[in-house]
Amino acid sequence: MPSATVGQTPSLSTYLKSLKHNDIETSIELFISLLKRRQIKNSRPCAIATISLLLRVVGEARTRDAQQLIERIRAVGRRLVAAQPREMAVGNIVRRVLENVREVAERDQDAADGGSEGSTSIPSTPIRGETMRRPAFPTKFSEFSPLHGAATIPQDMHARAPLATSGDSSPAFGGTMEAALQRPPLVSSNTSYAGQGPAASSLFSILQHPQGRSPYATPPTGTQSPALKASPFKGDEGQTSASEKLDIKAEVITSIQDLQKELEEVDDEISEFAQDHIHNNEVILTHTSSQTVQRFLMKAASKKRKFTVFHAEAYPNDHLETHATIVNGGGATAEDADERWKPLTSMGITVILIPDSAVFALMSRINKVILAPHTVLANGSLIAAAGASTIAQAAKTHRVPVVVLSGVFKLSPVYPFDTDELIEYGDPGKVVPFQDGEFMDKVDVVNPVYDFVDAELIDLYITNLGGHAPSYLYRIVADHYRVEDIDLSGKAEGGAVKAG
Amino acid sequence: MPSQTTTPYDIVASYRRLLSEDPDLTQPVAAIESLILGLANTPATTVSETLDLVSTLTAQLKAGIPNSISLSAGTDLFQQYLITNLQRPSARGDFDQIRSHLVQNGRLFVERAKAARADIAGYGRHFIRDGNTVLTNGGSRVVGALLRNAAESGNGRGRGTIRFRVIYVGSPSGCGKSASDNETAANIAALRERDIPVAEIPPTAIAYCMDTVTSCFVGAEGVVENGGIVSRLGTYQMAVLAKAAGKPFYVVSESHKFVRLYPLGQRDLGIDQRVVEFKTGKGVVVESARGQTDGEGGDSLVVGESKVDYTPPSFINGIITEVGVLLPSAVSEELIKIWF
Repeated sequence: MPSATVGQTPSLSTYLKSLKHNDIETSIELFISLLKRRQIKNSRPCAIATISLLLRVVGEARTRDAQQLIERIRAVGRRLVAAQPREMAVGNIVRRVLENVREVAERDQDAADGGSEGSTSIPSTPIRGETMRRPAFPTKFSEFSPLHGAATIPQDMHARAPLATSGDSSPAFGGTMEAALQRPPLVSSNTSYAGQGPAASSLFSILQHPQGRSPYATPPTGTQSPALKASPFKGDEGQTSASEKLDIKAEVITSIQDLQKELEEVDDEISEFAQDHIHNNEVILTHTSSQTVQRFLMKAASKKRKFTVFHAEAYPNDHLETHATIVNGGGATAEDADERWKPLTSMGITVILIPDSAVFALMSRINKVILAPHTVLANGSLIAAAGASTIAQAAKTHRVPVVVLSGVFKLSPVYPFDTDELIEYGDPGKVVPFQDGEFMDKVDVVNPVYDFVDAELIDLYITNLGGHAPSYLYRIVADHYRVEDIDLSGKAEGGAVKAG
Repeated sequence: MPSQTTTPYDIVASYRRLLSEDPDLTQPVAAIESLILGLANTPATTVSETLDLVSTLTAQLKAGIPNSISLSAGTDLFQQYLITNLQRPSARGDFDQIRSHLVQNGRLFVERAKAARADIAGYGRHFIRDGNTVLTNGGSRVVGALLRNAAESGNGRGRGTIRFRVIYVGSPSGCGKSASDNETAANIAALRERDIPVAEIPPTAIAYCMDTVTSCFVGAEGVVENGGIVSRLGTYQMAVLAKAAGKPFYVVSESHKFVRLYPLGQRDLGIDQRVVEFKTGKGVVVESARGQTDGEGGDSLVVGESKVDYTPPSFINGIITEVGVLLPSAVSEELIKIWF
């Protein structure tokens, strides 16, 4: 039935409203068309829309089996990512959800095992699901041992023996001891960092069954997933314990809701660090009308810091919004009154609007540059609004620290093989108006919307998890994404890595 | 049976034989193979005996080969593998199984190592795009495989779909036809056959052509703990020039070459190679012995083609291994996983 969306430009808010009363397939199609027509853009709206959509997808999924759920999410994710590959936030959210599902499934798997979590074994098994963040380094060979997958104690094995009989199990020790030293179920052998130590994927693989990718390495998207997935025995699992299955969907929904909450709180969590980085009498340079940056600066201002902000206007793609943000504060178009915020000037902060061309000239007087990216890539480099690269290079020349504020949802596990492909081109009419017909005839006008900034130009990333050096981001990627999810199109085939 | 020095088994000869017999074998894998053969030849019945034997053999091997960095990656890996497997309390009964598994499956490990090379070639092809010019060092089988893979089309026959060009940097000393020279020549011929234009330049022309280059790919003898690499002499030079020109510099290496070494500079590698040799009218100026090598004459001196240099991690943009593309900062994590 026609709702209030009739007559309104399609956007994030209309989409979210329509989600409530459209069926799933329509919702997916609607989102895809929004993405393709760029009626929904920038990382955060895309992330919010994706996660709401996935919440519905999971809620309506008929299956109780984790593996089928994963397949369903992957299928939806494939379509969404294909609709707009440059909106990497969409893919990031899909992969986060997949990681949650796998983790929930593994937790239930362990519960089904009767909790024989090898408490007496050396190496000790970490309790899966408890280590949501990075586990501490062990001081001896323990859960991080790649051999842990192969070398657990017999009683651990007996509990899992009926499950781990897939054809993939390697002749780790001559292959004759199915009961004693069989390699444990595949779930523990290629789990990524978040659920367990990065097992079996690393250097010992040459002497044993090669497991797959290191969670610290970023594989290219075009290749196939590693050979071993959790799938083979999940099928068995489905028949044995139906009671755990009920949990999986509910738990996945809970974890997706947690992810939604994380998205909402990203700005607040990042702003917590404002005090550490902005001090009295500092001169800050920023760029574009990013909500995250504004909130960050507002937080510092609210703590009674007096500083000056140079705001580059990001012509021609964002300058009107920037002007509006400086004068009126933010969220003018948001329906929710909570989302609006006062302008910085109302808190006594001097804000100076400058054209982008003045950045280099003024850089010698700047203390700090604060940027907000569109996407952060796995090697620490980022894609930000056009003009960011100039600012970063000017900052490097003058030795000015560059701080980037980004939620973890913007961090993509994909390795940027070709950075040129990631730049989107927008409306050239904003550079030279189309009315200028003669000029347009003779000259090729391009308007890149984004800029690539190399990892070397950035000093610090502040995420909702804290501050990190660019060289450390691989670890966060490993914490939040599973290696097998990086390529959404690959099936669970042993393309890249196989036993001998 | 002799327990300490195994008199009949000469690990250095075995290692050299393995390398010469199979040109596709890398040094770490050859080291592992020779250690396994040593295990097979010498029956050891207890865990401690085995570990002791392995460390003795390793020490012999390292003493006998002048440049032991690459092979020490293999020996360290093997030793740690044994230690982890054998020193758990429940390992009593497994000892024979482990030993027999290792002894019987020697070829399997070699095959896996070679499969790793194919995997890397599969990844690397994403780095080479239409219109790129690739600069490489030559002498690396992995890089050769990567380039050949990129040159080949999806259906395995005929010309590939990526139109790129390759610049091979020739060997520094220009001395004769060594194994790596033959390897390079074979690679160049294979690429030219697939209609990929290949140029050969002397090392003196690297800076000259650097502005036309899109990216650099080099192989490594060893990847050290801080993410830097130890590679044939001339690699560091290329890395410095690439960095100065702003070109990406990628290292292509199997993951079994990660070695637990943390060099602070070129002379901190622990090997004796006289790259810079001063002479006066009275003859060669001999530097005071730093105790790095034992006085076994020419054996411990790295000569000719095998000279290496160290490239610090700040010059490297990515390390392409069979487990994916690693940042240099991630290498230490991989090493910690097996050592601690």
